Amino acid sequence: MEIRKLLFVTKFEKLGFDALQSLLNLRDVSLNHIVFQNVIERDKVSMRRGTGFQKEEAIRLKERANIRFIGWAEHLFEQGMEVGVYIVIGKLVPEVIKATQKEAADLIVIGRSHKGVLEQLYQGSDVTDLLRRTAVPVLVYKHLSEDSIHLKNPFERPLLATDWSPASLKAIEYLKPLKKVVQQIDVIHVVDEKELKGTSAMDIQKTRKETRRKLDALCDIFEKEGIAARPHVYVGETDEEIEKAARECQATMVVLGSSGKTSWVERWLGSTPQTIAENSVFPTLLVPPEKQ
Amino acid sequence: MGKTVLTVDDDPDVRLFNVTVIEEHGYTPLEATNGEEGLSLIKQEKPDLVILDVLMPRESGIRLYRNLKTDKKLKDIPVILLSGIAQKSFLRSQKALTQFGGAAVPEPEVYLEKPVEAEELAAAIKKMIG
Repeated sequence: MEIRKLLFVTKFEKLGFDALQSLLNLRDVSLNHIVFQNVIERDKVSMRRGTGFQKEEAIRLKERANIRFIGWAEHLFEQGMEVGVYIVIGKLVPEVIKATQKEAADLIVIGRSHKGVLEQLYQGSDVTDLLRRTAVPVLVYKHLSEDSIHLKNPFERPLLATDWSPASLKAIEYLKPLKKVVQQIDVIHVVDEKELKGTSAMDIQKTRKETRRKLDALCDIFEKEGIAARPHVYVGETDEEIEKAARECQATMVVLGSSGKTSWVERWLGSTPQTIAENSVFPTLLVPPEKQ
Repeated sequence: MGKTVLTVDDDPDVRLFNVTVIEEHGYTPLEATNGEEGLSLIKQEKPDLVILDVLMPRESGIRLYRNLKTDKKLKDIPVILLSGIAQKSFLRSQKALTQFGGAAVPEPEVYLEKPVEAEELAAAIKKMIG
């Protein structure tokens, strides 16, 4: 599972060329093709009373995106990279899915959702919608977010949070070929406090030991690939503990397998990947399960 | 039948513009929307001239140009590069690809930066294939 082609979805607000440049270290592994995508939401150019379809506005927005992309593309072409562009009017998620399929992209890079709380509750977030519809990993990038530091290489020190799900195991396969850009991987499992209630100290220690043993086995997989890996057991609220672990391990990115929860459950009860992708200060790589 | 001119561009407006110029000057137009489609059409139809965009989905004009100019059977087909990408960047990209182990390729016969006037394009076509 190599990252040869990357789809970089941008609205130019948060994800700019500096964010893309910080991902170019992936060239050391296999990246050689960047595809830019800008989706102009329909409501920006849709019909309004007395004006009809705003063709001139559509042209203006498309050309503005085109000018930005030409500048970025020239820079990448000069480095010997392959570049493609999609500027389309439509809905974000279906257009991203279309481009991902046409290009057979290996990684989707996207900013965090711009939807408000109510909108997300009723319509779902773009990121979770995307993850439900693709098997391609999604990196929710926060290069210019208010809290995060500007990273030179977000893949340098990933924190892999595992819940032993098939998607978590797929995340391991995804990280394995990245030896040249990864310095160390910290592998963490968060034990839910509810699992420990009413049990003795011995039982709690057993849980820790068993979890640690399973984490060691995962670390061995990375070590065999020549990547340093360290296991960590945390206890508490999953989202909070992952964020805490990422800070303590000085991680440059959080990696998670995405859940297989239904859209309804995810919207109303939330999910760890969704919460971390939307709220964490760290770039978040979400690896969906294989689609049937 | 007149000489054939293939235009490879993902923008339908540009393809329409090019096709109109091509037809108005007595040539037969062919169209492709990306590099992949373009190369397959070149192999199939052997056009007399290719008008090639650089920045396209699937496969860029840079890759198609290399494929064309390193193919013994196709390398003599003349190419007009018509793009928003600066000529300087195009040439640097080819140099970089050569440095990474690819074969050296000649510079394109004509490089026009978008947007182009109909007369300018027609003159370039005429210069290349008469």
